Amino acid sequence: MDTTTQPTNTQPSAIEKVFAFVDERVGLKTLQAKMLNEPVPGGSRWAYVFGSVLLFIFIMQAVTGILLMFYYVPTADHAYASTQYIIHSVDYGWFLLGYHFWGSTAMVVCVFAHMSQVFLWGAYKKPRELIWLVGLALFGIVMGFGFTGYLLPWDQRAYWATTVGVEIMDKTPLLGDFMARFLKGGATPGQMTLSRFFVIHVMVLPAALMGLAGLHVFLFRKAGPAGPFRGTVEEIKAKTDYFFPRQIWKDIVGMVLVFLCICSLAFWEPVVLLEEATPDPGDYHPEPEWYFLFLFQLLRLKIFAGEFGQFLGAIALPGAFMALLAALPFIDRSPERNIFKRPIALIGWIVVMASILIFTVAAIINREFLE
Amino acid sequence: MQPKLKSKVRCSDSEVGEVRRVIMDPLSHEISHIVVGAGAADSVERQVPMGQVQGVAEEVVTLRGTSAEYATLPAFKRDEYVTTHEVEIAHLEDRIHVTPGEVLVPFPELERSVKRRTFFANFTHAIGFLIGLPLAFPVLRYLMKPMYSPFDNQWLKIGNSGKIKQDDVGVQFKYKRKIKEAYMPEQEIDKNVWVLKATPKVLESIYQGKDMEFRDATGKALWTNKKDVPYIAFSGKCPHLGCGFKWRTHKTLGQVFLCPCHLSIYDAAGKVLDGPAPRALDPLPIKVTAAGEITIIDMEFKAGTKAQVRIV
Repeated sequence: MDTTTQPTNTQPSAIEKVFAFVDERVGLKTLQAKMLNEPVPGGSRWAYVFGSVLLFIFIMQAVTGILLMFYYVPTADHAYASTQYIIHSVDYGWFLLGYHFWGSTAMVVCVFAHMSQVFLWGAYKKPRELIWLVGLALFGIVMGFGFTGYLLPWDQRAYWATTVGVEIMDKTPLLGDFMARFLKGGATPGQMTLSRFFVIHVMVLPAALMGLAGLHVFLFRKAGPAGPFRGTVEEIKAKTDYFFPRQIWKDIVGMVLVFLCICSLAFWEPVVLLEEATPDPGDYHPEPEWYFLFLFQLLRLKIFAGEFGQFLGAIALPGAFMALLAALPFIDRSPERNIFKRPIALIGWIVVMASILIFTVAAIINREFLE
Repeated sequence: MQPKLKSKVRCSDSEVGEVRRVIMDPLSHEISHIVVGAGAADSVERQVPMGQVQGVAEEVVTLRGTSAEYATLPAFKRDEYVTTHEVEIAHLEDRIHVTPGEVLVPFPELERSVKRRTFFANFTHAIGFLIGLPLAFPVLRYLMKPMYSPFDNQWLKIGNSGKIKQDDVGVQFKYKRKIKEAYMPEQEIDKNVWVLKATPKVLESIYQGKDMEFRDATGKALWTNKKDVPYIAFSGKCPHLGCGFKWRTHKTLGQVFLCPCHLSIYDAAGKVLDGPAPRALDPLPIKVTAAGEITIIDMEFKAGTKAQVRIV
């Protein structure tokens, strides 16, 4: 074959023909162009990767979650055994379960990073209030995933986290008792609880998350990215590029890093179950997952003692905090987005992060004291 | 060539205005009319069929006939049209090259009654509501089925009092309870209570001089713990948030019940010494035979409330 001849034949290949056929009917090229050619004001940044990374984590959670369901049985007499079977007998079961477990942690970490970034950049302000509100709902869904998924292995850790978690929910005024019984499907955790948590975890929350995440992205695309919080219009304009390729490249690097972290954790810190769930804790000291430790430690405080104190600490305080976040774009109406010119916002963020850190560390120190 | 928006429109004798809008045929995707207007936006605009158009040039559209004939053409009625953004027309942009501006298609005759459209919109909502309404209650009941079950007031054997060697010291008794949940096979779950042989001082602290009566859900008396019987059984569930507490030695408070979850501390009589618990430990109905066999009624109470609310 003569390789030096330039191809003079301009006839499209079979693949190109098929692609053209499909494109004519679907409009793939336009769709792709619209997805990729989104102008990013002020250019791509590493700070913007968290949204894409969260989407990636969610997809991986869905994939690993579906795979776990091939063996997992959501019944009080088989949940524990089937989870142990996944860990000890199924090839790479330990890895998929570990990935799913650490993936949920990565989700929580990235949600915090994503929310912090949006907060610090002032990106929740007009006209992006609805994106922020839908984002808060998504935050609630991620927490719901963590809470319901935690029960499924049906070991002591799972049982007690659920017992205490539902007791906390029980403290909601008026509706608390109904909500707690509704979730448990009775007075105490059992088969009905497991069935309910399972269906919420694998059907209700994924559907809600997909719908709301779609809405989140749609609203984001409609409003457009907020861009940097300083710089003149000309400066921002000069640096503006499209979503593809620079931002996508950064997003991909972010995804790869998160993927490697989750894989390493799944490999070096595999999931080990405790004894099978039962209402007698034995020597086990119940403790929630690390990202709830601060709340757990908070409830040990003397000011949150007694029935009213408990309502304050477990319901009113987190509720008021979430309400404040929801009201934020409507309270903070100044168009100023530069975090260094928003002292209350900056101090507020530092105080919240520092409190979470302090209470988490306190819970870990208390752990030693209990031994 | 297609007429352009803002093009001047001329009749044989004079200029009559400019192209304000174009109207397209939704099926052939051809321009069927142009809308011509002059002067203020609210002045009369006329709808000119493409058949009347003699020629289209860059920036100029020429009409057949005179301006007097143009004045006899029907006035343009905006509410008889919708914009192409409001209807789904495939491949529109491939055929019509009018941007920016309004590209219109006729609003079908049958759809022109606003009242009827509003009525149907409301009717659709009403139908949806009527479909949902009769489902709401059955669905709620369906989901609520296991939520409220009657109490089981059976006496359970938990062990022998011979295990208790010292007075006023909490001793854990583990026992199995059989549960039958809905369709599931009967299962045994592990539970525990803390029993202590109390000195009169501790008994006084618990009973305050009165016997303790237990009633079932209907208010019928089940059992009375006599104030002078020294054996006390505390439910193994911490009244703070439901964890399992332990008998531990505390640096300053001595021997106490301690819950490792949120660090509630209770004395031997179950009274709160420290920590966030809202009430004392929950004593259970207890019977001790002459041979030392201890039986209890396994009750559970809601955690986190000042008052005792029985849930199991």
